[in-house]
Amino acid sequence: MSVWEVAIEPLWPYLVLIMVGFLPSEIWRALAVVLSRGMRDDSEILVWVRAVATTLLAGVVVKLLAGPTGALALVPIWGRFGALALGLGTFYLARRSVMAGVIVGEISLIGFAYWAISQ
Amino acid sequence: MKPADEFDRPRLFLRGVRDALALPAWVVGFALVGVGSLAHDVGHPVGAAILSTLLIWAGPAQVIFYGGLASGTALPLIAVAVCLSSIRFLPMTMSMLPLLRRPGQGIGMQFLIAHYVAVTVWVEGLRRLPDLDPDQRLAYYFGFANACIITSAVMTALGYYLSTALALPFVAGLLFLTPVFFTLSLIAGARNRLDWSALALGAVLAPAFGFLVGKDFDLLLTGLVGGTIAYFIGRKRR
Repeated sequence: MSVWEVAIEPLWPYLVLIMVGFLPSEIWRALAVVLSRGMRDDSEILVWVRAVATTLLAGVVVKLLAGPTGALALVPIWGRFGALALGLGTFYLARRSVMAGVIVGEISLIGFAYWAISQ
Repeated sequence: MKPADEFDRPRLFLRGVRDALALPAWVVGFALVGVGSLAHDVGHPVGAAILSTLLIWAGPAQVIFYGGLASGTALPLIAVAVCLSSIRFLPMTMSMLPLLRRPGQGIGMQFLIAHYVAVTVWVEGLRRLPDLDPDQRLAYYFGFANACIITSAVMTALGYYLSTALALPFVAGLLFLTPVFFTLSLIAGARNRLDWSALALGAVLAPAFGFLVGKDFDLLLTGLVGGTIAYFIGRKRR
């Protein structure tokens, strides 16, 4: 058996995971450690940084729903945003309970998915 | 005599664990069930699937990573896509660290704190940590964050072994967890005009920039342009 088969092949998935998955993602967290040195938690620039983070997250949500991957693409776009709206409505009706909103949103989405499959 | 917070630390850690297990840890855990089944499909060992949750700790990046491997995309291209998708961690971690930084804390400890930052931990951390005494925050944070990441690692392994047993509508439901939970936690945590403007601008600008500049730099531009506008809207009214 070659060195590749014995020593490297079993470790290959871990190597790929670290080089292609972990490091390219972790670089942002590490950079944040360096860039935020000496910043106080009440400083003005952090108000802006938080605004950027919140905007980015809202963008991530819309991106995940508008251009879904895998099984979520089964559900038509009105079903994806409709389930989100039903979850949101439940959140407000249930005295701002995130859990109630998530559960109703999920049930709606799974229901729409079954409907889409049956068509 | 030890200061009071020395005695409080295990209790604060457990309070963090309890708050996480009340809902957030399960949401992020179930959202990562799908990652386990993706890892199974590309032929990775279960250890790599679990490690992807412990190390990458970012659902969308893990989906891109395993989706890229499944479709045979060149590794450097996957690395770039993963990197672009995780850009949110820069502003998120920058706004988290000053809440947890203490005098005499080493750089290694700060990298460790930063590693746990993910949406669940960030949203809940910004909401709960300011109410705690600065000396008490770290124990609570590690309790909360470890409960989230360990629950998620277990759920990733579960998804690995369940990969063929789940009906498609339920797989769709697992993928829907991230957007529905992000949305509700962000809205639950929104306190002022700045937060609301940021949410609205993000929702509107992301598709607009997606159309204008494509799917690589759309989030970066959305964050910078929308976040800056939201900042000025918030400042005007303060």
